[in-house]
Amino acid sequence: MVRSTYDEMYDAQGGCRAHYQAFARWLAATPSELVEQRRREADLLFHRAGITFTLYGDKQGTERLIPFDTIPRSIPASEWQQVERGCIQRVRALNMFLADLYHDQRIVKAGIIPAEQVLANEGYQLAMQGLDLPHDLYAHIAGVDLVRDGDGTYYVLEDNLRTPSGVSYMLENRKMMMRLFPELFAGQRIAPINHYPSLLLDTLKSASLVDNPSVVVLTPGRYNSAYFEHAFLAREMGVELVEGADLFVRDDRVYMRTTAGPQPVDVIYRRIDDAFLDPLAFNPDSMLGVPGLLSAYRSGKVILANAIGTGVADDKSVYPYVPEMIRFYLDEEPILANVPTWQCRKPAELSHVLANLEHLVVKETQGSGGYGMLVGPAASKAEIEAFRARLKANPAAYIAQPTLSLSTCPTFVESGIAPRHIDLRPFVLSGQQVRLVPGGLTRVALREGSLVVNSSQGGGTKDTWVVEDSTVASESREV
Amino acid sequence: MRLAIHHDTTYRYAERVRASIQYLRLTPQNSARQRVLDWQLDLPESARAQRDGHGNILHVLTLDEPHQAIVIGAHGQVEIDESCESESDPVSPLPYLRCTGLTTADAALREFAAQVCGARRDRAALIELMAALHRRMPFSPGVTEVETTAAEAFALGLGVCQDHTHVFLACARSLGIPARYVSGYLCTAGSPQLASHAWAEVWIDGAWYSFDVTNQLTRPERHIKLAVGLDYLDACPVRGMRRGGQEQMHAQVQSAPLLQNQLPSQEQ
Repeated sequence: MVRSTYDEMYDAQGGCRAHYQAFARWLAATPSELVEQRRREADLLFHRAGITFTLYGDKQGTERLIPFDTIPRSIPASEWQQVERGCIQRVRALNMFLADLYHDQRIVKAGIIPAEQVLANEGYQLAMQGLDLPHDLYAHIAGVDLVRDGDGTYYVLEDNLRTPSGVSYMLENRKMMMRLFPELFAGQRIAPINHYPSLLLDTLKSASLVDNPSVVVLTPGRYNSAYFEHAFLAREMGVELVEGADLFVRDDRVYMRTTAGPQPVDVIYRRIDDAFLDPLAFNPDSMLGVPGLLSAYRSGKVILANAIGTGVADDKSVYPYVPEMIRFYLDEEPILANVPTWQCRKPAELSHVLANLEHLVVKETQGSGGYGMLVGPAASKAEIEAFRARLKANPAAYIAQPTLSLSTCPTFVESGIAPRHIDLRPFVLSGQQVRLVPGGLTRVALREGSLVVNSSQGGGTKDTWVVEDSTVASESREV
Repeated sequence: MRLAIHHDTTYRYAERVRASIQYLRLTPQNSARQRVLDWQLDLPESARAQRDGHGNILHVLTLDEPHQAIVIGAHGQVEIDESCESESDPVSPLPYLRCTGLTTADAALREFAAQVCGARRDRAALIELMAALHRRMPFSPGVTEVETTAAEAFALGLGVCQDHTHVFLACARSLGIPARYVSGYLCTAGSPQLASHAWAEVWIDGAWYSFDVTNQLTRPERHIKLAVGLDYLDACPVRGMRRGGQEQMHAQVQSAPLLQNQLPSQEQ
């Protein structure tokens, strides 16, 4: 992999890329005081709207504003089409993998994935074994994290198939940009995304075999870091936001307590982890779940989106096999590339990783949110040695990847405008069709040189544009 | 041998319970080793049977009316084939390699298992492990709780069948051998005693073999299997939640069932 950095706006010669030219002209023509004033306005509006997230590990449980950057991340439509096709292909294969794994296990029998790798995996749920789901769908909502290396090639960094979050920021960022800078949207065709909530509701309803099913959003409650998003999506879809205590199970059916008496629930968009869904089946201390929910689910009387047990497919130790899944289930070549991955559970790969820690990114197979990872080139000697000890103690819990340079996008920082590293999380909805709204959530690492974009680690977000192509044909490229 | 079971469990509550829900795993199934001649559950409300993810028969009992006690009765007859040493299973045993909160092996447990078994992974090695474990952890009721983990019980060096089983599972899994928790009844010979009991099943050479650590048995002659799972929480006979007067949910897991009526086991 090339160790140069790909900038989304400027090419290697410093020229502005075709799909950014309208924005660049606007930026040059707009007085910087005006831009600055509107940036402050954006901060104020986000505060007022209560768009915040809670930082885990922060003793005060402080709610923080996720910094919003007003320079959009822009993608030419032709390039987006490839990304979109790649995401759809990937999520289709992952859903087929889950259906296979919980039924015939053909992919294991074919020797493509070692049985122990998946069946002894913490994310594999025995409760799902042999259970038939409508349309064989497990991950109704997926967040596919993409990054670009030095030559601009898109790579899938990870598949989030449990309860991926961030889509509310995608929607709010767009609203904010349209409010602050309407002239930008008048001047060029930027693909709309505001239909996401209706697509989501449609996806959730189509997951059930019941006519006009009733849908709820199940949240762990206001102390969860993504509570804002749960409330936001429920409101946007026009469905109830509930906590575990608002639901109960009787005769294998799930009901919601309301002032008008119990109301049946057919589909639960749950933003609670598997372990907390039903205290009678999983973690007995869970106060967040619904006692009896698993029995109702296994009786087919309620849909959970996403299904239980999707974690086995987005585990980082299973990630290296996704290209093989695409070939196996779809008989297609992967459109989006995987990052080369060393599996530390294999002794030969572990020794390579241990010998190259200062160059690699090492992640926990079960981790998320940028916690528990080592970015070798950015780590101190002491941090590397501490990580080496953890890695040696439990190699199977880690994978390693080369440090991708991650593309940059111009971003407002204290000293003005400077390039900062970004990623992209498109949200893939699987119902009768597999659909995405154009773009996704762009996260930006605000610290200079940082490659960690997670909001829990000081990342910010940007509006993500897919710009129509007529003016950018010369720039279109295969990915 | 034919065993007759009569098992009543009564839960009494200090305050009136508004509603409760229980997962019951109290129904034995036919297998190579046991044949269910008849079986009946007496429940305060009818409850539909379903299968859980481990293949156990699960009844979900929901009570919506206020109550201060629940009586759950199970009775029937089961024929045991004492010559049966192991049971095959078409389902992959690999999920039973996984550790749970109750069965995670700490360094002490891993070391203990490795010391006894060395590089051996056969049945003889596991029988030695069972004997060594029993010497290390003599049966002693009243010391541990239902929530006690394998590592805690091993550190105490004491425990009951649940602890013995958890420790044995943790050891076997740390050696890379699939192992699972079995919940059931034990009818002690020559005694009218019937007890809820737990033992382990370990996957060796393509079949499940039983290891009753507490009684040092490898052939469960008087054991009626009710359910299997990764640990106690997966397989236990009764797991429930209730909604009390103050709208609080209380986890209530059966620790030792109250046996109100017992018939002697009958030999034929």
